[in-house]
Amino acid sequence: MKDGFRQSMAWLHTWAGLLVGWVLFAVFLTGTAAYLRPEISYWMRPELALSRPGPENAAVAVAAMQAMAPDSPSWFITLPNERETVTRVFWRDPKAQGRRFRDAVLDADTGQPVAARETLGGDFFYVFHFQLHYVGVLWGRWIVSICTMFMLVAIVSGIITHRRIFADFFTFRPGKGQRSWLDGHNVCSVLALPYHLMITYTGLVLFMLMVMPWGIDRAYPGQRAAFNTEAFGNAPPRQRAGTPAPLAAVTPLMEEARQRWQGGRVGRVIVQNPGDAHATIQLIRAESERLSYNQQSLTFDGTTGALIHDSGDSGAAAEVRGVMYGLHIGRFAGPLLRGLFLLSGLAGTAMVATGCILWATKQRQQAARRGAAGFGTRLVEHLNIAAIAGLPLAMAAFFWANRVLPQGLAQRGAWEAHVFFIAWGLCLLHPLLRRGRRAWVEQFAAGALGFALLPVLNALFTTQHLPATLARGDWVRVWFDLGLLGCGALLGLLAWKVARHRPSAPLPRPAAVLALRSLAEAAP
Amino acid sequence: MDVSRAINGTARRTRFRPGAEARCRAGIAMRLLAGVGGGYAVAALFTMALSIGLPMPRAEAVLTATMASFAIYAAAIVWAFAAPGVLRAWAGMAAQAALLLLALFLLEGYLP
Amino acid sequence: MIGLGFALAYAGFSALCLAMERHHEQVFRSRRIPPWRRLALAGGGWLLLGASALPLLQALGWGMGLVFWAGILTVTAMPLAMLLTYAPRLALALAGLSLPAGLVLLLCGA
Repeated sequence: MKDGFRQSMAWLHTWAGLLVGWVLFAVFLTGTAAYLRPEISYWMRPELALSRPGPENAAVAVAAMQAMAPDSPSWFITLPNERETVTRVFWRDPKAQGRRFRDAVLDADTGQPVAARETLGGDFFYVFHFQLHYVGVLWGRWIVSICTMFMLVAIVSGIITHRRIFADFFTFRPGKGQRSWLDGHNVCSVLALPYHLMITYTGLVLFMLMVMPWGIDRAYPGQRAAFNTEAFGNAPPRQRAGTPAPLAAVTPLMEEARQRWQGGRVGRVIVQNPGDAHATIQLIRAESERLSYNQQSLTFDGTTGALIHDSGDSGAAAEVRGVMYGLHIGRFAGPLLRGLFLLSGLAGTAMVATGCILWATKQRQQAARRGAAGFGTRLVEHLNIAAIAGLPLAMAAFFWANRVLPQGLAQRGAWEAHVFFIAWGLCLLHPLLRRGRRAWVEQFAAGALGFALLPVLNALFTTQHLPATLARGDWVRVWFDLGLLGCGALLGLLAWKVARHRPSAPLPRPAAVLALRSLAEAAP
Repeated sequence: MDVSRAINGTARRTRFRPGAEARCRAGIAMRLLAGVGGGYAVAALFTMALSIGLPMPRAEAVLTATMASFAIYAAAIVWAFAAPGVLRAWAGMAAQAALLLLALFLLEGYLP
Repeated sequence: MIGLGFALAYAGFSALCLAMERHHEQVFRSRRIPPWRRLALAGGGWLLLGASALPLLQALGWGMGLVFWAGILTVTAMPLAMLLTYAPRLALALAGLSLPAGLVLLLCGA
């Protein structure tokens, strides 16, 4: 009975993990890259200089918005901080197509749109990891949420399956085929288990009102705004008055916020109904300052500058949600802790990868005994190559596109993404021509080359090359270039390992012959 | 596929019977339906009942219930595959759902 | 403080490893561990692991301290697992060095 339970959990673990493994791999890897979103964005705009955030940034941004979007009903301004050197704005535009939002990246000091190449920057990986690309926003979020639920089930059933969780804590036996993959999978999963559980569960919580709307629908039928007011202390929205009135100066409000938060910084500014008598200015505290993402905010009357609402402290459940949110996006983390998150994220990526490979290895061994590998096994092997070796290559291609695409290209940012997916698509086709290990080696090697050459490309196409940034002390760019070289080295190591690999467990003779035959059949 | 046969609750070492494979697949499909569909229903009912039933401010109750719902969902899926037989899996799920539905009706005041 | 947390966690994990036959063999080439030594290693290991949380909680408070601690446990255990496989002696040497190094870091204020 007990055994049957374990076995059924093993079955559940295997299939819950495998079915969505490739999506999870992509989500994990791009999500890990998203920890470096501001740094990636900065690297992808080599024209930008490092500017210092200052108290006048908000006033500059508001003035810029007054010039750019005087008719918009709402402006959302993200102020620069120590990691992000630009002001990012987006606003509702009643005349715009589609989602009716426009956005721009502004120079923090002048308020002019930055004189930088059009690029998606780090936002691409960030957005991809929770809503994919090319599919609609809602579709993407639903797909990722469902895959995350699979992940949660896989983690829970995996813990139940793994009977010697403490005895095998540190066990890694290399060069032993299937067992090594199992060991590697265990080490990546168990040692970073708190992180995996945290990131999976909090990922679900981020979109919980989309995935599980039944509670809020029952308790607040058709009144989400009322819920937001009660749960998060947001100010109730104000209706437009229709009479024009000038907007109050924002700098004194910033000073007031700083005093009320005992020196805390303002991270975002939201202006509703600018230019109207019922305008409001909401100042939101920077999210890098607290573990909880729950926004502490102050709302001022937009014409008189009087404080009309203080979000105050939220209730216990709202605070728990805020902490979950904060933990997931990890923006509170300083450089060292961010490094720990990054490593844990890579461990998660490796966990998914080793799990998928483990399945294929197991099937391959069974197939060797039986005669030939079935379609399912070959499909999984194919997808493993395209996902695990192909995605890093596609990411390198994305960075290449940023440097190589002509500056004047229309929709340049969108083309960066197209290049990413074209490269990934080629990785999906490539194993059709080059089977098995050769495909692995070639894709890893190409990825290694792609990453390793990026600093060189940087020197050819921009002035922000390694010696120059090193001399100037632009440490973000220095570390980024070194990190790219590191990625190249890691992929190169993988390519070398795979190329050198010889199946070590000697098979009994007839099986060995069969395996050779199946390998020969697999080769073109 | 001895693993899948084991989760169907039949002995692992049964002699071959015609249709065993098909029955095994049907069992898995039924469990899948119980876990994914029934589990979601249970989690949704749980969220609804707690959202209006928890003794705390309404918004707090909604947040607490919704945040906890994924643990319930995961547990329900695990149950659907851990239960000794397909019937037991469905019966457990149905019992949970019925209890929650009853609680919901009581909270809403539909029943005396 | 954070350096001390790293050092204590690494030393704790190393001690726990040495209390297990498989890893004891990797380091000392012998599977047999005298019972008193096993007890001392396991107890000391858990103690060190628990102690590794203290400097972090003290420096960063409960919320951030616990998050940091979980991260440190992960990133100290992973290299240890690799070192035990590929360079077991080095793993032992690092464990021996980690405590004095942690104290030095503490004195330097890191």
